[in-house]
Amino acid sequence: MNMPLYRQMLAINLKMFMNYAFGSAFYILLMFWIYPGIAKNSSSLNSLIDGMPEGLGKAFGLENGFGSVGAFISGEYYGLLYLLILSIFCILVSTQLIAKLVDQGSMAYLLSAPTTRTKVALTQAAVLLSGLVLICAVTTLAGFAGYAWFIGDLGDFDGTGFVLLNAGALLLFFCIGGISYLISACCNDEKRALTLSGVIIIGFFSLNLIGKISGELSWMRHISVFSLFDPGEIVGKTADWPVSIAVLAGLGAVAFAAGMIIFRKRSLPL
Amino acid sequence: MLSVEHVTKIFPNGRGIRDVTFSVRRGEVFGFLGPNGAGKSTTIRHIMGFLKPDQGSVKVCGYDTWKEQGRFQKYIGYLPGEIAFIEGMTGKAFLDFMAGMQGGVDPAWRDELIRRLQFDVRTPIRKMSKGMKQKVGIVAAFMHRPEVIILDEPTSGLDPLMQKVFIELVLEEKARGTTFLMSSHNFPEIERTCDRAAIIKDGVIIAVKDIHELQSMQRKLFEVTFETEQELDDFMKCGLKIDSREGNRVRVAVQGDVDRFIRETARFHVRNIDVFTQNLEDIFMDYYDREGQTP
Repeated sequence: MNMPLYRQMLAINLKMFMNYAFGSAFYILLMFWIYPGIAKNSSSLNSLIDGMPEGLGKAFGLENGFGSVGAFISGEYYGLLYLLILSIFCILVSTQLIAKLVDQGSMAYLLSAPTTRTKVALTQAAVLLSGLVLICAVTTLAGFAGYAWFIGDLGDFDGTGFVLLNAGALLLFFCIGGISYLISACCNDEKRALTLSGVIIIGFFSLNLIGKISGELSWMRHISVFSLFDPGEIVGKTADWPVSIAVLAGLGAVAFAAGMIIFRKRSLPL
Repeated sequence: MLSVEHVTKIFPNGRGIRDVTFSVRRGEVFGFLGPNGAGKSTTIRHIMGFLKPDQGSVKVCGYDTWKEQGRFQKYIGYLPGEIAFIEGMTGKAFLDFMAGMQGGVDPAWRDELIRRLQFDVRTPIRKMSKGMKQKVGIVAAFMHRPEVIILDEPTSGLDPLMQKVFIELVLEEKARGTTFLMSSHNFPEIERTCDRAAIIKDGVIIAVKDIHELQSMQRKLFEVTFETEQELDDFMKCGLKIDSREGNRVRVAVQGDVDRFIRETARFHVRNIDVFTQNLEDIFMDYYDREGQTP
């Protein structure tokens, strides 16, 4: 780690991190705010969902129904929109942290200072992860605040389940962030890095979605890392944590390490 | 202090540098010359450890710049040929940041550099002109008082006054024992600062010369306008090397022997004299083309 670099990168990016974090927090508060209205009609909504093709309900995280606020949030936010927000965050930020600096040439300044490439790469990874942790933390806190504010006594809230939900999401994006970081570390061209990680990550996301919708195509889910984070299963306490942790943490760590090693070993067009 | 040993790097498109070898002694200012695309920047990128040589190595203060990253940078100041700063910062924020990365920057010296180069450090980098960015880059390369300073086309974008300030700076630091390597197109700058210069063409070093040798190689073109064409016709008989003539105007090529040119010209009525100096690259290319023609 290089502390001056870490501080500078945070100073430059903190505003953007906060925008994502507060955007996400605002949205989750909105979800808590509208839930009481939905809960009143939950039986009719549930029957509506029962009428829909099974796959569609699953794809959009409706299989747990609207009966509990946990099921509602996990399905409606953690099942879809939150994943998209954090995917976009990973793609954009990891590209900015390495490939953009190489493409523009400002990486030359970082490497002309007394530091090693490995340290620079490690610092940039730390900046990306700090952003992810910040967004997840703010979102989690906003969730608790939203429950207390709009629903009622926090004593009734399945806090453990909600924290696990957020921890699962963070784990998933440790892995996704690792993949986009690896791509960023390999690319000399900012646009190429952006396109490549966009295609791969949004591709994974779509495979997971399609696999959920269609029973015949359910094999598609298993190629996608997104299938290892299933909000419905986490809230329903049927999630297979050991497998998810092993694969996501393992894959993420390997991707980050590979990115650093490749960045250390390759010629840079500066 | 700085030695480039048999560095070869061939890019996939077939261009690159071949077996580049030279060394720069402590306290010496070393010029690096050659046309665009000859391999100057590629060589400098090897010195900075950005590119991995196919063969050979570069050593700065005894450290291999590819294998021992993190060790040699402490001794080096670098001004890239194409300056790119991190976006979203002011000049001051950037210099503070670089000072933090370098460690051990004397604020008084940095402020003096800023004062002498005369620019407003509070300007956001995205609003800076090319010359202003160049000044920020020069401060960043000099401020930590490194032992070796690598400058890739340092005066591009600077006005003549600032070029003069820059040359003074280089000479002062040279007097303190700082070693320089700079690539340049600007002859006065090389002439006034460098002790030796290497010439690179098509990725190969074709000569390493003392600066005095280079000066004697420089050809000057004098454009003389005579009162009448008759006088010019008489002047032509004197045997000086004539480059071209047009009406009562003539261009005379003079290399070294200025005195004879003056004496021959003084015999006639001269309306006007202009002087053109060849730029460095032309000198070398001329010189080496001639070398090639007369084996």
